[in-house]
Amino acid sequence: MSTTERRTVGGLRVLMRRQFFWGIIAILLLLLVNVLKDPSFLSVSVNSTNGNLVGNLVDILRASAPILMIAVGMSLVVATGGIDLSVGSIMVVAGAVSMEFLKANGQSGGVALGALGAALAVSALLGVVNGILVSVVGLQPFISTLVMMLAGRGLAKVITSGQNTAASNGPFRWIANGYVIGLPVVVLLAVVVVLLVALVVRRSALGLMIEAIGVNPKASRMAGIKPRGLLITVYALSALLAGIAGVFATASVMTVDVSRTGYQLELDAILAVVIGGASLAGGKFSMGGAVVGALLIATLDKTIVFLGVSSSATPAFKAAVIIVLCLLQSERVRNLFTQRRAARARAPKESVTA
Amino acid sequence: MVRNKRFHWLLSLASAGVLVLGLSGCSGDGGGETGDDGGPTKIGFVAVGPEGAWRQANEANMQETFTKEAGFELKYAPATNLDQKSQIDAFTSFVDEGVDVILLSATEGSGWEDSLKRAQEAEIPVILIDRGIEPDTTSLYVTRIAPDNLQVSKSVAGWATETFPQGANYFVLEGPAGVSVVNERNRGWNETIGAKPEFKKLGAQTANWSTEEAKSVFETVLKSNNNKVQLVFAQNDEMGLGAVLAVEEAGLVPGKDVKIATIDGTKNALEALAANKLSFVAEYNPLFGETALDVVKKVLAGEKVESYIVVPSQTFNSPEAAKTALPQRKF
Repeated sequence: MSTTERRTVGGLRVLMRRQFFWGIIAILLLLLVNVLKDPSFLSVSVNSTNGNLVGNLVDILRASAPILMIAVGMSLVVATGGIDLSVGSIMVVAGAVSMEFLKANGQSGGVALGALGAALAVSALLGVVNGILVSVVGLQPFISTLVMMLAGRGLAKVITSGQNTAASNGPFRWIANGYVIGLPVVVLLAVVVVLLVALVVRRSALGLMIEAIGVNPKASRMAGIKPRGLLITVYALSALLAGIAGVFATASVMTVDVSRTGYQLELDAILAVVIGGASLAGGKFSMGGAVVGALLIATLDKTIVFLGVSSSATPAFKAAVIIVLCLLQSERVRNLFTQRRAARARAPKESVTA
Repeated sequence: MVRNKRFHWLLSLASAGVLVLGLSGCSGDGGGETGDDGGPTKIGFVAVGPEGAWRQANEANMQETFTKEAGFELKYAPATNLDQKSQIDAFTSFVDEGVDVILLSATEGSGWEDSLKRAQEAEIPVILIDRGIEPDTTSLYVTRIAPDNLQVSKSVAGWATETFPQGANYFVLEGPAGVSVVNERNRGWNETIGAKPEFKKLGAQTANWSTEEAKSVFETVLKSNNNKVQLVFAQNDEMGLGAVLAVEEAGLVPGKDVKIATIDGTKNALEALAANKLSFVAEYNPLFGETALDVVKKVLAGEKVESYIVVPSQTFNSPEAAKTALPQRKF
């Protein structure tokens, strides 16, 4: 065996040991199923009139952008041993704030920036409230963010006086529907945000400190980590990312649907984080895992439509794919398979010796 | 630790206080005046809440009809995020409170038997507003007031057969699976279109009444069929408008390459029809507060009413028709 070969095998083995390896396999399998249905599924072409890339893969990336945002935020919160159930509701708040702002102020690019700023500021503020409830008041993260989940959607209804609100603003719409050098803006923005967060948490001690809180809050405090500020930062960051997701979701149709925008997306975010291999008990996070998880969910959603799975069977189909994936990820189930294979390999030998 | 305990104690005391206050409020409401002796007639409205422009118009119209001036006290209880459980809870508390009439717009068709029986035992008449129940046991309620879904979706199907005499490839954007409206709208469409082999069904998907989901679903549907979709039947306006966005993004022209028909007839949809983006809008008239008022009065006076009262609706098949209707559009 040559050294390069050994190295690639070794690399593969390292990758296999990563929890999100199975997530990648699942994405590839789903894509394969789509290709079997229609061989041109993966083809990405250039629109001749405007030079934009079009194709199912581009759609999947675009659909994954909001989930990506909340999954990254969620992975940090989960790493502290907490959970953020309010991301879906913060999305709708951000959407409501931006739509009302645009409706009141008109068409210009400056207004779009103002709407974006207002939406993100309100989101971050709600996140700070979450963080204070968790770290200063000492409520359970589950309860504090559950409260925010209910209050957030209520707040959105108050902001829009209970109605679905539409607005028109070119630059704001561009965020979710525009293209730069043929690539969708929303995907580029999502990539930039993820890289930025990854750089900040992994190139500084921040990531380590976040994980330390999740492993053992008492020990980390004694080691000189101040959990209060850190927790507030993490929850604020999660909410800020949810705000960005809300802007993505509403800008794509320029309407905020107070009962539907971001509805139950907190579950998608948690799912993405778990698929990515993080433990809900906290103590570690993986940006790569969260990204894989978010992409998997978007791929799954698109696959359902592409295959034409009937509406009534959609939830069952989704659940089946996810349970199979979780089984594959489980160490115990995998060991069961390897043991059986080993037993079968041993069996003929024994018969020879006997 | 000690501080924490005291905080908990305070918290439980405070919540107990709130509970007591709430309970006393309830009994004060229920005990005093009932509708029979002069006070306002109490109406419990188990509503759907924010769902779209249609629902907004319908529920606002109800609230404007059953006013204090008309001698009513309308208790409006919208569902939390279209959740049936929250509706059942609201329904039960109206029964316990002893309102005079309950108006019900069910978010989901099935699962209402027990609640309706409780209302019957308490001798509170229940009037279904818009949404029906499944199975449709007419003995459990007084009447259902609604535009006829079957008729409305048949009018869409009728328009489709006229517009595409040679048939077409079509796709259906449905509401959430299991809702009575969805089943009825499907039935009306299928009865006409299903009998015509020249119409080819490419598929049906739910987009949960939402513009955002409809856009995402339909962009993939266009790709999986190489843009060869000529007709979309969107079961509400919001989803139809989402399909318009997806069609435009795919570089096609809505109204020309893909014709989109919707049901509801909200202002936004008529504006889109006037701009030639939608091709057909069938109204599903939400403004039937007056009819409901009549029925409530009759029921309270002990008169008999039909078990299904149909609210008349119109259709719009051209930009001109939309333009003439737009100025007086209320929803």
